[in-house]
Amino acid sequence: MRAVMLLLAAQARRDRWVLSIWIGGIGLLGLAVGGAITTSFAIEAERASIVALFVTNPAFLFLRGLPDGLSIGAVAFLQGFSFTAVLAALMSTFLVVRHTRADEELGRAELLCSTPLRRNAELRATIILGFLANASLVVVVAAGYTVGGLPFGGSIVAALAVGSVGLFFVGVAAVVVQALPTGRGSNGVAAALVGVAYLVRGIGDALGTPNAQLTQVTPSWISWLSPIGWGQATRPYSEPMLTPLLLLLAGFAVLAGTALVLRSRRDLDSSLVSDRAGASTARFGGRSVLGLAWRLQRATLLGWCVGVVVLGAIAGGLGPVVAQALQDNPSLSALIGNLVPGVTADIVDIFTAALLGIGGVLAAAAGVQAVLRLRTEEAEGRAELVLATPVSRVRWVSATLIVSGASVLAVCTTLGLATGVAIAQSSADMTAIARFTSAALAHAPAAVVFVAVTALVFAVLPRLTIALGWGLLVIGLVIGQFGELLQLPQWLQDVSPFHHSSAVPVEDLDVVAVLILLGITGVVAVAAIVLVRRRDITA
Amino acid sequence: MSAELIIETSSLVKRFGRAKALDGLDLHVTEGEVHGFLGPNGAGKSTTIRVLLGLMKATAGTARVFGLDPWSQSVTINRDIAYVPGDVSLWPNLTGGEAIDLLTSLRGGADAQRRAQLIEEFEFDPRKKARTYSKGNRQKVALIAAFARQAQLYILDEPSSGLDPLMESVFRRQIERARHDGATVLLSSHILSEVEQLCDRVTIIRAGVAVESGTLADLRHLSRTSFRVSGVADTSALQSIDGVHDVCQVGDTVECEVDAGAIPAVLTELAAQGASAVTAAPASLESLFLRHYSTAQ
Repeated sequence: MRAVMLLLAAQARRDRWVLSIWIGGIGLLGLAVGGAITTSFAIEAERASIVALFVTNPAFLFLRGLPDGLSIGAVAFLQGFSFTAVLAALMSTFLVVRHTRADEELGRAELLCSTPLRRNAELRATIILGFLANASLVVVVAAGYTVGGLPFGGSIVAALAVGSVGLFFVGVAAVVVQALPTGRGSNGVAAALVGVAYLVRGIGDALGTPNAQLTQVTPSWISWLSPIGWGQATRPYSEPMLTPLLLLLAGFAVLAGTALVLRSRRDLDSSLVSDRAGASTARFGGRSVLGLAWRLQRATLLGWCVGVVVLGAIAGGLGPVVAQALQDNPSLSALIGNLVPGVTADIVDIFTAALLGIGGVLAAAAGVQAVLRLRTEEAEGRAELVLATPVSRVRWVSATLIVSGASVLAVCTTLGLATGVAIAQSSADMTAIARFTSAALAHAPAAVVFVAVTALVFAVLPRLTIALGWGLLVIGLVIGQFGELLQLPQWLQDVSPFHHSSAVPVEDLDVVAVLILLGITGVVAVAAIVLVRRRDITA
Repeated sequence: MSAELIIETSSLVKRFGRAKALDGLDLHVTEGEVHGFLGPNGAGKSTTIRVLLGLMKATAGTARVFGLDPWSQSVTINRDIAYVPGDVSLWPNLTGGEAIDLLTSLRGGADAQRRAQLIEEFEFDPRKKARTYSKGNRQKVALIAAFARQAQLYILDEPSSGLDPLMESVFRRQIERARHDGATVLLSSHILSEVEQLCDRVTIIRAGVAVESGTLADLRHLSRTSFRVSGVADTSALQSIDGVHDVCQVGDTVECEVDAGAIPAVLTELAAQGASAVTAAPASLESLFLRHYSTAQ
């Protein structure tokens, strides 16, 4: 056990900054949301109207979660919980993969395994670290909510729910890393499972039934298939219930136990899924820098596309169901008319437009991930191999930028097509395909700005590329999702490119904004290409 | 020197923040030679190579490859260069064969026959994903890619450090072939026997400065000769000669190290004393190396 503690100390030391940022950031988000609701929605009538807006709009239910009464705490929980839970889950999966499969792949684990340790000692230490990180998260988030002005008791329960979801995904990732051969693959699959948990909860919540006063929604059974749904079921600020947390803790225990057994029985470097023999010669596409950039991004891009097909199918399939439900409930339709006067948009369109906005963020993430390859290639010494041939840096960076831009377009188009086809199928309106595909593409200009900015960071501050690339995207996402709620100054909201995307088909396409976004992308990308020629290629 | 200079650096300086990786390096490599580039870890060998490939910009001084500036004209220069890094990192999801084809294609395409022959000689399996290759196998990928297409200049950074002796001999044959084809080779190494066998000239670098440069014969001239003699009664006379070091007597034999300039005096003294047996061996590169490294501390 002493050895495990030593490993734990080493892992904790390695992670001290990363985890501080994750935990501090999630705590700050809790503080901000709590504070915003306390100040902007101090009057109950205001809270009643926002809750009614949620109850009547399945898009909000899908994206955010379930209304649970009119108290300040309940409204804050509604606004913040599922997003916070996703962040806690991602913190946990990245943590586990970093210390297990990624280390094994890089050969560091071999060094440790040669010492008199049990085979699963490293995994034990990582699981303990994951537990401690989530325990700290509970404390920090509870403090954030309480300082933000929410009731203390409920804040403790809400924070426990966040931490328990995180802990559950420590277990999930611990099993995933036993099955996959690479750190990158493990990160992708574990993060996709977090996405599935969020989507399943979203479907269940969107199909939930509202109460007569329109202050509360009871989720459908589908939400009970998602660990994030379990966390939400604690209802911290109305009728707190800790039983769902036991479900999360039991899930964690079973998954972690399974992972420990699997690890102690398998060989180092072995995995369930393993590599087959490949081609002994490169095909035509594998003989150029552009081909290489494509080859490196291909599998990841396929993953993103599969993800958005699922999202699009859900969005397109759910819309009509929701519209039907509204038609059957005249009081709800009347309420929508009162809440958003002047908006005559079809409810299906509102719902779908909100989801396509999320698709824009996913497209940006896919594009940014493709650009970040440049830095990994440089840091791991492969850029040196390529640039020692007669390939200029301009060509090298441009090839990656082309693939990144194409990734953005591919994700947007796929999402639009999937949504459109799903809607066309249920409504027999074939024009929906073209309409929603172009609606999804309306988010591409904002997404490519992130691609270009990440490339510029790579050109100027290479060591910060990965941190800033993801960081800027998260900041853009937070401003986009919470900017109006937090009443951030207008100029700050305007900084986020997503703020300038048009929510087609509810809004008309803002052509000027599109041209400005594309112009910024072009200038920044050219700056990146020019500036990367001025610095050393470093490891 | 009449032959054309392929690589020429003068007073090359490269700083990383405050640390000086190169501190006024002069390196001259002439056409058609195999040039050994020797030095301990951290001496600046890899930094020099990165400057020559245009991956890093020199802080001061000049570097020329084929008479061109590598920083501004790396694309032109690299057309005729084949490079093998010291620590080869490959794309984990590409097979070895695909990586070889990519690297050779970027230089203009491999000679298919030579590629096949190299794969056979190096006993390399090109169908495996690169993440499963050991250090030696990753090095083979870079070596095969380098030799599968004719280049004017081969820059090899500790190229055989992961190879077993059998593969090392395959590697040596390739160097010989390159030399035969008239190519120039810059071979960075700390494997002395390799340099002794392969190289025409050697530059020794320490702390970013070239401390010695010349043919092996030149360098040996600068270094000492080991003497082992029998039948000498008076060792103090030997000791008193300027340039004689480390005299020690084991039974009947006397051993000492002699600077090149002191050899005539030592021979005269040995003749005068009537030595019965003399063995004189040229200093190995090893001792040359040790002498330079130990003064570094």
